[in-house]
Formats: sequence, structure tokens, C-alpha cells
Amino acid sequence: MPPKKRIFPRQKVCRFCADTSLVIDYKEIRTLRNFVTERGKIIPQRIYGNCAKHQRKLTDAIKKARQIALMPYAGPTHL
Amino acid sequence: MRRYETIFIVRPNIGEDEIEAITSRAAATIEGDGGTIIRINNWGLKKLAYLIKKENQGYYVYVDYAGVPASVAEIERIFRIDDRILKYLTVKLADSCDPEAVKEQIASAEPVPVSDAESMEDKKTDSTDEEKTDTVEEEKSGTVEEEKSDSADEEKTETVEEEKSDSADEEKTDTVEEEKSDSTDEEKTDTVEEEKAD
Repeated sequence: MPPKKRIFPRQKVCRFCADTSLVIDYKEIRTLRNFVTERGKIIPQRIYGNCAKHQRKLTDAIKKARQIALMPYAGPTHL
Repeated sequence: MRRYETIFIVRPNIGEDEIEAITSRAAATIEGDGGTIIRINNWGLKKLAYLIKKENQGYYVYVDYAGVPASVAEIERIFRIDDRILKYLTVKLADSCDPEAVKEQIASAEPVPVSDAESMEDKKTDSTDEEKTDTVEEEKSGTVEEEKSDSADEEKTETVEEEKSDSADEEKTDTVEEEKSDSTDEEKTDTVEEEKAD
């Protein structure tokens, strides 16, 4: 078995760090919709390259939006 | 005075007067404890993302206010008892807030063209959205907000397209390992797969 290599992810920039005008708000489902799969699941951090801080805020916002029925728990988001 | 915002959803088939009564009762509770209402937005009838108490649509009301924690508890207690209210959500925005200053800021914030949105603070862009919605018909408020964030999104799409196509692949292969479909990470995932197979 070859030794476990340290896989460095390619340099992805967190788009929220790069552009500070992007607001993460549970009311703005247009933005949030991009971070959720077709089935309504939250896309993990390693796919999108968000930094941990913004991923946490994003998850928080998506969960709040689900709670207030702006986004579904399962299924595609209708706008 | 802490700054809160509350969104509550009311059943769609009751009349405007009753919705007004609910909103004013909540407002009275806030002001009774010495708080101030910063703004009230009626988002109107919206399609719910899932069935709530067998209702497909709901009437959304958004209240932004500065108040004491006791008034929040009181409002939520009222909402919980009332059958006409389907859901409510209260979020704390700030620990201390000067309602007069915030009101002035909202009132004085001019509507900003999309290209200038990036240079303004987050709070201001949020409030300029609300400003527009106050002056425009209330029914349109949802679309105005959406338009703004949509154009902000469009500016990002060019840089983001690559990653988006990756994620589009991800969505289709939900049950399959996600790494497999990510084309840009193929080399690394191949080695990872080998290790896993070993």
C-alpha cells in the first residue's frame, strides 16, 4: 500500500472572502440556492471552496430559511 | 435595546384586517415594553416551500425592531397560542441599537444602482433594498430584493462557472461518491481511490 499522500486541494478562493459585498442572509434565497443541490442538500465546503467561517454562516442561513419555509428541507427550490 | 427581526407567516385565507390586527398587537407588545419599531414589511402571499398545516401559501410579515428580550418572549408566546399564525422566526441582529440612528440611515440611504452595490457596506445595501420596497408597492418587495441579489450573482458567475459545472455534476451523482464526478480533481481522486481500494 503506497504511503498516504498529502492531497492538497487546488487553490480555491472563498468567494465570500474575495467579494465582501456578497451578503449571506437567510432572506436572500437567490444566493443561497446556489449552495444547495437539486435535492435540497447543502453542498460541502470542499466542493465549493468556501472558508470555514463562511460555510458556517451559509449553513446557518440555509437552515433558517428552511425553518421559515423559504427553502425546502428536501426537493428543488422554487422561486 | 437589542435589535431583532421577526418574520411570521399567517394563514392566507383570513382577511387583511385580521393580519393588520395581529401585526398591531405585536407592535403594541413591543412598544409597551419600551421598544421601537424600525420598519414593518408585508411580503404578502408567497408559496411555501413545504406544506405547513396543510397550507400551500402563506402571508409573510417582516418586522424590524429594537426592544427588550422580554418583549420577544411575549410576542412568541402570543404567536404560539394563535392558530392563524403558522410559523415565526426571531433573529437577533445586534446587541445594542440606537433606533433613531438606524431609522435615519434607512431613510437617508438613496437607492443605489447595481454597479455601485459592491462599494457600499452590507448593512446599507440591505437597507437600500428595504428602502426601495417601502416606496414601491409592497407586493413587489420580494421581487426587488431578488433582482438585486440576482445581479450581484451574475457578476460572480463568470469566475464561478467552472466550479458551478463541477457542482452540477455533483448534484446528479448524489448517491455516487462525489469525488468521482469532479473532473478537475480527477488525478488526485484517482490516487485517493486507489488507497481506499487498498
